[in-house]
Amino acid sequence: MRKWFFAGFGVLAMAAVASVTMFRPSGAQQPAAAKSNIMPVDTGSLKGPRQPIFFRHDIHAGQKQIPCQYCHYSVGVSNEPGIPSMQTCMGCHSLAVGGSTPENKVEIKKLRAAFNARKPIEWVRIHAVARHVHFPHSRHIKALGPQACATCHGNVARMPQVYKVNNVNNMGFCITCHLERKVSRDCSTCHY
Amino acid sequence: MAVIAHDPSLPTQTHAEVTRDVVRTITDKPAMGYYILAGSMAFLTLVLFVTLGAMLKYGIGIAGYQPPVMWSVFITTFVFWVGIGHAGTLISAILFLFRSRWRTAVYRSTEAMTVFAVMTAALFPIIHIGREWVFYWLIPYPNARFLWPNFKSPLMWDVFAISTYLTVSSTFLMVGLVPDIAAVRDHVSGWKKTVYAKLSLGWTGADSQWRHYTRAYLYLAALCTPLVLSVHSVVSWDFAMSIVPGWHGTIFAPYFVAGAIYSGVGMVLTLMIPLRKVLRLDQMITEYHFDNLAKLTLLTGSILFYAYSMEYFIAWYSGSLFEQTTFWRRVFGPNWWAGWSMVICNAFMSQLLWFPKIRKNLASLFVISIFINIGMWFERYVIVVSSLTNDYVPYAWGQINPSWADWCILAGSFGWFGLWFTLFYKNFPIVAIQEIKEMIPMPRRGAAARGH
Amino acid sequence: MTDQAEASGVDRRQFLKVIGTAGAGAAILSGCSTERISTLVPYMVQSEDQVPGIPTWYASTCSECNNGCGVYVKTREGRPIKLEGNPDHPVNAGTLCSRGQAGLQALYNPDRLAGPMAKNAAGKWDAIKWDDAIARFAAKVGATNGELAVINGYSASTFSTMLTKWTAALNGFVTNFQPFSREPERLANQKTWGRDDLPVYDFAAAKYIVSFGADFLETWGSVVEQQRGFATSHGFNDGAMSRAVFVGPRLSLTAANADEWVNVPAGSETLVALAMAHVVAAKTGSAVASALTAYAPEQVAKDTGLTADQITKLANAFAAASPSLAVAGGVGAQHRGAIDLCHAVNLLNEAAGNVGKTVMFGAAPSASEGYGSIQPLFDRMSQGQFQVVLVHDANPLFTLPKSGKFTESFRKVAFKVSTATVLDETAAECDLILPNLHGLERWDDLMPRKGVLGMLQPVVEPVRGGMHTGDVLLQASQKIGGAVASFNAKSYEAYLKAEWEKSFKSSDFATDMREALGRGGVYTASTTVDQPKLVATTALAVTTPTFDGPGDYVLMPYPSMQYHDGRGANKPWLLENPDPITKITWQSWVEIHPDTAQKLDVREGEIVELTSPHGKARAQVYVYAGVRPDTFAMPIGLGHTEYGRYAQGRGVNPLDLVGAADGQGFLPYVGTKVSVARTGDYHQVARVDGTPRQLGRGIIQTMPVANAIKKMTPEESYKAIGRGEAESNPELEQKAIAGFYEAQLDATKFGDYANEHPKWGMAVDLSRCTGCSACVTACYAENNIPTVGEEQVFRRREMSWMRIERYWEGGTNGEPLQARFSPVMCQHCDNAPCEPVCPVYASYHTADGLNGQVYNRCVGTRYCSNNCPFKVRYFNWLKYNESAWPEPLNLQLNPDVITRVRGVMEKCTFCVQRIRSAQNTARLEDRDLKDGEIVTACAQSCPSGAIKFGNVKDPNAKVVQWKQNHRGYVMLEETNVRPSVTYLAKVLNIETAAFTGAEER
Repeated sequence: MRKWFFAGFGVLAMAAVASVTMFRPSGAQQPAAAKSNIMPVDTGSLKGPRQPIFFRHDIHAGQKQIPCQYCHYSVGVSNEPGIPSMQTCMGCHSLAVGGSTPENKVEIKKLRAAFNARKPIEWVRIHAVARHVHFPHSRHIKALGPQACATCHGNVARMPQVYKVNNVNNMGFCITCHLERKVSRDCSTCHY
Repeated sequence: MAVIAHDPSLPTQTHAEVTRDVVRTITDKPAMGYYILAGSMAFLTLVLFVTLGAMLKYGIGIAGYQPPVMWSVFITTFVFWVGIGHAGTLISAILFLFRSRWRTAVYRSTEAMTVFAVMTAALFPIIHIGREWVFYWLIPYPNARFLWPNFKSPLMWDVFAISTYLTVSSTFLMVGLVPDIAAVRDHVSGWKKTVYAKLSLGWTGADSQWRHYTRAYLYLAALCTPLVLSVHSVVSWDFAMSIVPGWHGTIFAPYFVAGAIYSGVGMVLTLMIPLRKVLRLDQMITEYHFDNLAKLTLLTGSILFYAYSMEYFIAWYSGSLFEQTTFWRRVFGPNWWAGWSMVICNAFMSQLLWFPKIRKNLASLFVISIFINIGMWFERYVIVVSSLTNDYVPYAWGQINPSWADWCILAGSFGWFGLWFTLFYKNFPIVAIQEIKEMIPMPRRGAAARGH
Repeated sequence: MTDQAEASGVDRRQFLKVIGTAGAGAAILSGCSTERISTLVPYMVQSEDQVPGIPTWYASTCSECNNGCGVYVKTREGRPIKLEGNPDHPVNAGTLCSRGQAGLQALYNPDRLAGPMAKNAAGKWDAIKWDDAIARFAAKVGATNGELAVINGYSASTFSTMLTKWTAALNGFVTNFQPFSREPERLANQKTWGRDDLPVYDFAAAKYIVSFGADFLETWGSVVEQQRGFATSHGFNDGAMSRAVFVGPRLSLTAANADEWVNVPAGSETLVALAMAHVVAAKTGSAVASALTAYAPEQVAKDTGLTADQITKLANAFAAASPSLAVAGGVGAQHRGAIDLCHAVNLLNEAAGNVGKTVMFGAAPSASEGYGSIQPLFDRMSQGQFQVVLVHDANPLFTLPKSGKFTESFRKVAFKVSTATVLDETAAECDLILPNLHGLERWDDLMPRKGVLGMLQPVVEPVRGGMHTGDVLLQASQKIGGAVASFNAKSYEAYLKAEWEKSFKSSDFATDMREALGRGGVYTASTTVDQPKLVATTALAVTTPTFDGPGDYVLMPYPSMQYHDGRGANKPWLLENPDPITKITWQSWVEIHPDTAQKLDVREGEIVELTSPHGKARAQVYVYAGVRPDTFAMPIGLGHTEYGRYAQGRGVNPLDLVGAADGQGFLPYVGTKVSVARTGDYHQVARVDGTPRQLGRGIIQTMPVANAIKKMTPEESYKAIGRGEAESNPELEQKAIAGFYEAQLDATKFGDYANEHPKWGMAVDLSRCTGCSACVTACYAENNIPTVGEEQVFRRREMSWMRIERYWEGGTNGEPLQARFSPVMCQHCDNAPCEPVCPVYASYHTADGLNGQVYNRCVGTRYCSNNCPFKVRYFNWLKYNESAWPEPLNLQLNPDVITRVRGVMEKCTFCVQRIRSAQNTARLEDRDLKDGEIVTACAQSCPSGAIKFGNVKDPNAKVVQWKQNHRGYVMLEETNVRPSVTYLAKVLNIETAAFTGAEER
């Protein structure tokens, strides 16, 4: 496993500087975005918790057909799926894409504002497994293919606002699947 | 009255007297002493639950546990109480089946004692585990996670054994009570009457009721009998199934059962000798009964004596270094005091009962019974603790150092038990009225033969 | 990249939360509880080298002592979570000692200063801004006109050079101070060879090793390197094995690992050395013979308490084995005759012709100045010759004896500045504190010896608000101007890189530096071993060293393996990791021989008052047969009056008793006699060992080298010696056992167990293990094991999944006292007794042969521990997970391992997290696991390579070869639990006749 790291050492070393200065304290924590902004679209009526920015999975993953891993970049290589960095969003939304409808425009403005203010958006969390469970996303993507996300997260491409389809924190949910697919049920596969 | 040659197992009183004497224990206004007793017991119970609360808050580390001794005072006390809970069923069920008359006068109290002792013991598996709030994981129930308890684990068997025993013995007690409660019902008034009426389940004493009652009682007794042997055997396997030197002995099951009955009878004596005076039941519970109890004690005590000697013999005979070390250290190691108090109180004290003088003298009998209780607690202490202090790897050896929490739980358990028992003997017939009456010879002419 | 970095603005804590949400990071603190963070905070900008959930490794250099070992820093989401040795590094070759690994707890120490502080009139501390702080510093320094003293504890490096130049530019005076700086050796080398640098000793090549008080496995010299060498030569590998002898008054860990301990009174080691040299020189006809005429064994015998032929035999054996190696020095032998001793040993090496073979000059390991130079400095302070003193990376007021009145002299300086990261004794006396950055937070380098440039690079954003002292100096210089105006680099980083560029002399510096950083430095193996020329030796006349004071007992302070000179005392890992010899945690003590204890009528734990002409000290008694009856030994390192919550007011400092008077150029640690008085007070000793004797249970088995060469099994060896017939089962029992085991195996033919799986196993070579306990710290670091503190250790509730068991052999009726060490972790039995008794299957057997422990299923009946014959299960009695890691210590936690809540049992898992992640990687790359791909934390850290781990089903696996070794045995075989850990019996290089170990079997 070491070797794997050696390869990148040089780069890593240089990048160390960056990674170090990366999270310089930015003073006080931001107030939860939900308080501060008025929602032009009433997403409250939609399923799932209201997000600080009305990010439309149905548009990005659905209409635009952007693959999940474009944003959730580390899901195929790591235990963690990876939350897209603000820069990733700005990659498209800095100039090019300004939104088709006025509602969308407002939301994208919020994004740009946040980015320029260097305030990361605090997304409201929807899926979480207990800390005594180790869920390696990469293994599951490997086994079930890149489109497998829906197995647990539901068809996000149809969700204007993401909501919980399965209780991923329920061991029964995991075990059932492991049984169907005849894969390990050993406790120490997930618990250690 | 004309004194006639009298079989000591038979009551000397008339039906009326019996009912009067027993019902009186309930209807009389309790003395000051009673309130003090009940009060102190209630206080100790409070102590028990406060300590338990503290352990829930901070973790069981506040008790004096000290690795490698992972089980100490709690398990000791647990086994102690389960043991106490054995004499009752033996006397009430087995002796009933054997039709031995002398049990009649004492079986109700011993049975009550049994139920309360098991109730006390049942607290401990929960008290002693590290995460009390998930104790229910020990109980098998279907779930989506396909998780089941481990049926190979003796602790699992324990859960079943104790719960079964508690259910059966309490049922047995309740059923036995029905006619007597009815009798009490007929002698009280007001709200009490309604309460007893409910408890007596509409008992009228009709022949059909008696017919069913006696059958039911017989079957229940038959059902209880195997439990007397099974429960404590299972408890003994908590230890015997392990590989800890001093624990994995094949003799453990019979050894524990004998010990249990021994301690149970000891506790009966400790309770009944004073109680008989307090409740003025000396005509019903006579020296004759105590003599028989004493003989039972002698028998079981001698079995213990044998078991102890056997343990040491096997330890030597096995040639196992570990066994030998353990047993050597039991009597000459750091815990020698526990080892010797166990041997003296159990093996030797019981032998004094060979002498009728000592056996028939209530004072000496009472003293001995106290020694028995102490000795039996120490027996469990020796088995549980001093075996664990020195097993395989010397580097890991260590002694325990009990803390306030241990003592509070121990004292509290006595309070909890005592509270139930005190309340019981003041509110329910402590002697089985109807069974005594059954044994009264044909009433003499002229005496008013009132039924029950 | 940098301006991108500017653009980023996520608070580190929040950032951790991001990852925390996914089941890692600081969040795991609350263990099994499932309450979770409700928001996800993204990066502003994704950095290339940080993939959430995947560790990133940086190469750096350990700054805990001046040996400059290379380290790999394992970081997760920008937090260093473990330090491991850098395999490319010539000094430590991939392993690391306890103290090095605990560097992490210096980084995350909860008592680290948050920023610069100035002492106000009231003597209280005010937090100030950096600009202000530097301005004050510059103002004072600028006005000194030369009356500036600098005490620099950071060893040879670009920084030290710069500091020296900087001070010189201000006509100041600089001392590169290290408490244990091996001055006597350098002075002796001066005497012997006319050069004052130190050699590098090749323990790996030596066939016969004699140490005169030098604890080369503990604190003397480059320990990790020496231990590796020692294991190579002294570990038994097919017939060949060196012999080690220790000469000195105390059975130290080094002595305990030697085959023979020659017990002589403090000060008379010199005579033994000279006598040996005499004999050897006579044999080899060496030039030194002439100098030693007066030291024939017969003449010295009576002063040393040895017999002449004892010495002669020793000398002959030494001469016979070539190359051999004699070493001397170390605090334990630093009496007033220390120079003579080292000189004598030099002659011995000369006589045996070891110089150039095992004693190699040329590499010149960085040797800083010590007492010889710091004492004059303080004298000048007391005379008020300095206006400003700057103390960098040193704590002289703790490491120097009180009797020297150093504190008083220090106070004479008008303005005192410290760069301490934690408020230590010296900093507390200062007027201004400019906290430095930790080694993992800063750009820096270390040059432990010629040809080795170890680089330090920042791998984490400063945990507390420190500033690199280099930057402080540079910024101050610009304010001061004048002589130091030339120090005008933009930042210290720039300065350093410029310096590197000079030294590199390469066409493409950027690339070369990147590669160098990847390797952790530049290592040009110094092949030049130069032969020093012997100074013409006249006949020697050594005087027996004197001891101050009328006391009856020689006081022998020795550096603690965990605390070194005291710098380790604020790190819980080191405090809870027991001393390898006494097995005492969290405390300091005075070692008293049983006979003496009886004479004085004192017991273990009793507090005695020691009095010397120089001071008093109250210490706990530890009765120890490994110290001479006329000697008291005390560990140095505790007894801090400052230095944070863990160190403050803990233990006693033996230096309070030591005299400062000297004049020879070094501090005579062993130069005082003390008298003792009982106080009647008692304080329980926090020992973690139960019964220190094996009682014939064959837990650690040994064999004399002769039998090992004959390829005997331990069983056969014991039989051959005719001692301790092992209890063996009769044939029928054997059958029954086997049958039972088969039945057990049949039971595992269902479900997951049916498939093809590897089976993990371990082998431990006890002839390599020295008991140094580096593996223990590694285990603490890898597995988030909580430290429980002194109070809980009193109840033996320490949680160390891996412990080093230490047993004593002999010591009675004339048999020499010997120690046995063995690492004991969960043995992962195939036939585990803990498994069937668990009512909820929290303890169960995994398909790949591990003895699994599911914390979140455990209800805490503790039956498993009762039924474990090895007692390697540890229970969370209280909420240790909430008390063990005060902020920011929690940042050191390994996100791949959950912290356990109170009320659950825990134990060694064979680093299952490493196994699983390796399996995941292999699966993602569609390949099988390679042997050696999975290394447990303990095996990784072991400086002597005594632990092998792997798949026992793979016939080519290294672990399998070890398991098949004839020395292999399993603990407590008669219990039929079938452990997965095989131990290779320890081989003692002694005559079979002299074999002790009656208590093993």
